[in-house]
Amino acid sequence: MVQFSWKVLIIGCVVSVVWSPAQGEDIDFERDIAPILEENCWYCHGADEQESGLRLDFRPRLLRGGDSGQPAVVPGEPDKSYLVEVINHVDPDMAMPPEQDKLPPEHIALLTEWIRQGAEWPGQMDAVDEITSDHWAFQPVDRPKVPQSAVSHPVDAFLQQQLNARGLTFSETADARTLIRRASIVLTGLAPTPAQTDAFVTASEQDADAAYSELVERLLASPHFGERWAQHWLDVIRWAETNGSEANLYRKNAWIYRDYVVRAFNEDKPYDRFLQEQIAGDSLGSGEATGFLVAGPHVPAATVGREPSAIRQARADRMDEVIQTVGASVMGLTMGCARCHNHKFDPVTIQDYYAMTGVFDDVEFGSRFPEFSKEHPRRQRGDAIWAEIASHRQQLKQMGGWEENWGAYRELHFAPVTTTAVRIRFKMPNVGLDELEIFGPADRRQNLAAADFGTQLTGFPELGVDGRFPIERLQDGEFGTMTWRAQFGKESKDRAWVELTFPSAVSIDRLRMSSNREYFYDTDYLSKKPFLPRYEFDMDVPDDDGEWKPWVGTWYVNRKLAEKHADRKTHLQAIAAAIAALSEEGPRRSFVGRFGKAGMARVLHRGSPENPRDEAVPAGPAILEGELGLTSQTSGARRRLQFARWISSADNPLTARVMANRLWHHVFGQGLVTTTSDFGKAGALPTHPQLLDWLAAELITPTFRAGDAWSMKDTIRLLVMSRAFRQSSAPVERGLVADASSALLWRFPPKRVEAEVIRDSILQASGCLDTTIGGRSYRIHNEKKTYAQWQVVDNFGPSTWRRMLYQERMRRVDDRMFTAFDFPDCGQVRARRPVSTTPLQALNLMNSDFVMDQSGRIAQRARQAAGDDPSAAVDECFRILLCRLPDESERTQCVELAQTFDLSLVCRALINSNEFAFLP
Amino acid sequence: MSHSESLSAIGRRLLDRRRFLGTAGLSTTGLALASLLQADGLLADDARTVGGKAPIRPDVNPDRPYAPRNPHFEMPARQVLVIYCPGAVSHVDTFDHKPELTRLHGKKPPGLPAVTFEGPSGNIAKPFWEFRPQGESGKMVSDLLPHLGQQVDDFCFLHALTTDTSAHPQGENFMNTGFTMEGFPSFGAWVTYALGTENQELPAFVAINDPRGLARSGKNNFGNGFLPAAFQGTDFNAKNPPNNLNRPGSLTSAADRRTVELLQRLNARHLERFPGDADLAGRIASYELAGKMQTSVPDVMDLAGESKSTLEAYGVEGGSELRGSYARNCILARRLLEKGVRVVQLFNGSDPAGGNGITNWDSHANIAKTHAMQAEIMDQPTAALLADMKERGLMDNTLVVWATEFGRMPFLQANGTGRDHNPGAFTCFLTGAGVKRAFSYGESDEFGFKSVVDKTTVYDFNATILHLMGLDHERLTYYHNGLERRLTNVHGHVVHDVLA
Repeated sequence: MVQFSWKVLIIGCVVSVVWSPAQGEDIDFERDIAPILEENCWYCHGADEQESGLRLDFRPRLLRGGDSGQPAVVPGEPDKSYLVEVINHVDPDMAMPPEQDKLPPEHIALLTEWIRQGAEWPGQMDAVDEITSDHWAFQPVDRPKVPQSAVSHPVDAFLQQQLNARGLTFSETADARTLIRRASIVLTGLAPTPAQTDAFVTASEQDADAAYSELVERLLASPHFGERWAQHWLDVIRWAETNGSEANLYRKNAWIYRDYVVRAFNEDKPYDRFLQEQIAGDSLGSGEATGFLVAGPHVPAATVGREPSAIRQARADRMDEVIQTVGASVMGLTMGCARCHNHKFDPVTIQDYYAMTGVFDDVEFGSRFPEFSKEHPRRQRGDAIWAEIASHRQQLKQMGGWEENWGAYRELHFAPVTTTAVRIRFKMPNVGLDELEIFGPADRRQNLAAADFGTQLTGFPELGVDGRFPIERLQDGEFGTMTWRAQFGKESKDRAWVELTFPSAVSIDRLRMSSNREYFYDTDYLSKKPFLPRYEFDMDVPDDDGEWKPWVGTWYVNRKLAEKHADRKTHLQAIAAAIAALSEEGPRRSFVGRFGKAGMARVLHRGSPENPRDEAVPAGPAILEGELGLTSQTSGARRRLQFARWISSADNPLTARVMANRLWHHVFGQGLVTTTSDFGKAGALPTHPQLLDWLAAELITPTFRAGDAWSMKDTIRLLVMSRAFRQSSAPVERGLVADASSALLWRFPPKRVEAEVIRDSILQASGCLDTTIGGRSYRIHNEKKTYAQWQVVDNFGPSTWRRMLYQERMRRVDDRMFTAFDFPDCGQVRARRPVSTTPLQALNLMNSDFVMDQSGRIAQRARQAAGDDPSAAVDECFRILLCRLPDESERTQCVELAQTFDLSLVCRALINSNEFAFLP
Repeated sequence: MSHSESLSAIGRRLLDRRRFLGTAGLSTTGLALASLLQADGLLADDARTVGGKAPIRPDVNPDRPYAPRNPHFEMPARQVLVIYCPGAVSHVDTFDHKPELTRLHGKKPPGLPAVTFEGPSGNIAKPFWEFRPQGESGKMVSDLLPHLGQQVDDFCFLHALTTDTSAHPQGENFMNTGFTMEGFPSFGAWVTYALGTENQELPAFVAINDPRGLARSGKNNFGNGFLPAAFQGTDFNAKNPPNNLNRPGSLTSAADRRTVELLQRLNARHLERFPGDADLAGRIASYELAGKMQTSVPDVMDLAGESKSTLEAYGVEGGSELRGSYARNCILARRLLEKGVRVVQLFNGSDPAGGNGITNWDSHANIAKTHAMQAEIMDQPTAALLADMKERGLMDNTLVVWATEFGRMPFLQANGTGRDHNPGAFTCFLTGAGVKRAFSYGESDEFGFKSVVDKTTVYDFNATILHLMGLDHERLTYYHNGLERRLTNVHGHVVHDVLA
């Protein structure tokens, strides 16, 4: 390299003085170009140093560009070559060589001309620059051999190898009471009941292995298993039932996604299928699963403001939330860095990032009717109700028009007419509409009023009130606060009107209007309900001479026809009832994302939507061989489906590793890779790389025991059946000295339990816990004004006595109880919860209404079981809360407190005890 | 590969330290490892920030997460008061004097935008209040803030601030957490994570919320984000104590005390089975601290001992009810700072639903009335608080930050009586320990529309206030999800010109 450089440098010095190029003259790389690069560029962007990730001594790297992701050179196109922009000092912040070292004009001209002529670089024209990495996580999963060992369980064999190397051994097996408590909490999130504990202790005395194995099977089969593991998954993707941001609006029916996750774990849905459904459930008959894609926060349009650049930025931010969700949860990669420049640590480029935005380009935050398989009960019920509606409509048709109230909109049905235009004249001074749709018999779903359809729209007032509510919004396909509004004074005779001209004559028979359909569909629990005003209007169509003639109107339909046909009423009532039934029992619009039309994604230079550059073809990251055979014309659903298949493939080196590690993390409290959502270079290395790979291989194809591919339950079973899981958590000095973190698992690492376990266990102890699985979340908050904060109104009453998984998950709202226990605020991806200890936790657990109320109930329950004997009542409290009996001194102290004051104080103390709060 | 080989240098050092402490018989063996390992980073060897500097990780002992810790370098400020005015205070009507606005009143000069946050823009409007020179420095301040005006000789203004957003919640997030998105640790959380606190019987970081409620970004303004919950701001004000602070009404103090005693015995007995486990010991300690807070917090909230002249100076009586409540919050702020609370964040405004009529500084309509109402609440109590702190010597070790999320437009909204959001230029001020006095840094253009001289980003602003607390914004980091996260993301330069 050095020799080569010297040679060209000498030649360069000689010629550059005498030679000044003109366009069209032949450029010789070694004579004209290499000297300029050598002298000015290679010191910082050469073989040794690559500032900003840019290398200018290797043609493929010029084509690829540096961290910015912009190709430095596009052969033949100087205008598109970032290098040309930079050497011309277009942007003072990105000017090279900097300031006074700017190249002389003739050198700039040479480089520009060289690029224009194709950037010929002798010897490097066929060179390829493959993105490669020797980082462990990007290497294929190759099943390692289980080490030879005296222990039969493969997990233990791997662990023991490292323990031995450090002169450590596993601890003794934990006692039966500890074991059942640990296994119950880890697998189901609920502490065992006293009866379960006693039975297990007795059974263990007979045959410890058989009893434990039976226990594990019972817990894995429990419907509470899915609840516990759903909680972990929801944490990872920061799923919540509000938008976050200012209004922090509630997301209507978003919880059906939570139920999907619970069901998936309970039914042991294979992990590959689980992923596919969450990414492309709309194509797979499980539409509710796509709640995954919109799990993150978003800022709704109403609070983004009206500057077009702010609107574009908000859209880019929403896409980023989608990419973060997929990247962190499934791929274990922090894709976010590549939004503005190539990733600093990992081989993820800015092209990769925007290729992924291409995959998800049709995703928007909002609600839709989830696609259900034909067998889905909601779909079947919905079909039946629809059939009912259709039969009533058939009857009504024979009597002329009618109006239906669908909550989100009103729909006027009328006798079909074929026309090239319609005019709607409103009869009242105030009108506010977000959308106006017209349908015909030909295609029941085609909105003939849409701008996309080619329909022209005019009207009055064209710009709306204050010039701020333009009429185009009636046909832009967007629902919500972006409305057309007319407002006239009491005295004014002016009235609003709308005129639509279709691209050609169409047959029409339905008119649909709404004022804020987004609020109706997407949100709930606002003190001010979305209001659907009843507008009186007439609709005209032109006659053969082009004169407007009335065709139908609200007065005619609702009054005149009603007078004429008395029996209309029965059908209208039946339809109203059917609409109500449909919204409760049929498929409901739910906040699981909506899908628009996928377009072409572009690389946004430095992450700015104001600076779109090259097309980004939908694909996964190149380092993972993410080429999907898609184009920017492929439909959105297909893009996501292809991506879902690719990401869930057994060949993907990250997918199985990341999930196997997550399962490990939730069983042992700390992953083999402690940075569970970052398997990149900045993340931690695995403590047991071989074990991790073996587990990943086992997840994909089980060999240790017959089982199903990608079974999460089988993998969890494998882990909890290990000796490592069953050993005592007691500290051992040797272990502490050699491995303070217990990462090598010489003991089971104890840990404070999560907020959910504390709350659920208290409710279970008092006998209050309603164990119903799934359904609408319980509320602890008020109904609020749109721009107010949520207030906690009741976080302890009977309506809240369900598992905390079902407490409405609100972004950044303090529940005045468990937020202090590291319950996530659901703002950023939370791969693992920190475990902190604060005085606020103590105050909440000592003094809250919840704990006071529950302590009283637990005491009452204990008294009922124990009769009048105070000592027996104390014993019962210990059994209920700690699954053991008090020792002599504990009993004496507790009886004394109960007799001096009240038994509920004993319960209050036990709830606060370390024994209750720690996973043993 | 053996375990220790997978550790970073820092991780190995940490383990060595534990080993040492463990054998020395201290109760730090079984530390709250999950959090410690995260804090200390079981990371690859090249743990460094994007800027290339090595992180300085605070040595947080889970037994005592609030123990005072040393700053990165010595600076006069040991504690910080942030006075935050949600809603966007109009810089052109308060501290940023623009005579051009008076000259061009009612006109629409070329170059000003047609559409801003709320929609079409109208004509230039002169300041709604007269400006006059104040203090020895003669700094021009409007009559809207007469009391603060008298203290301009102590203030250091930043007139060329710019932000990335023109929406309030994102703007609040940006000022208070360094990111427009949610879920990032607040400034106060970063500072307490770095420095702990001097007073172990009061929370390290107190968020005194407005009497009308939380600001638009709610808890995010004082939350811990992904830092451990120990570093979140504790939310109370002069009227409402922290959640669940007080013993339940149904219990006598004797009954309460006896429960605590029983709990201590139960925990002591349990600890015998896990000798030297610091997680357990740490939790026992947290109950002791909670018990102390039950006395110390009501004490600090009790304003009965404040002199009549103090109450008068703060304007507790004689103004609007809201001014009275805010004035009490100001007194509480001073009392907390006197007790050595590390970070006090005092809010002057809530979300728009927080009260009747005026809720914060957002003045899209009738700015003459709404800014006046808000100023009546903020001006006198804030000025009295600063004067009081100065008199008591608190300014020697306290940094004071007065901030808002953006400015307001030099022109009115179309056909309107208010000013729209202006992310391009706004004013905040600093005062107290380590800050230059009677100084103004940066300039906006002749209209106050865009920052032009010494443009200062929110990153620069946050970098500077961290610097004033003795913290290098590039080295105060926390590993989260693949990145060494900072308050200033990958940006920010300390504005050295404002340092005393």
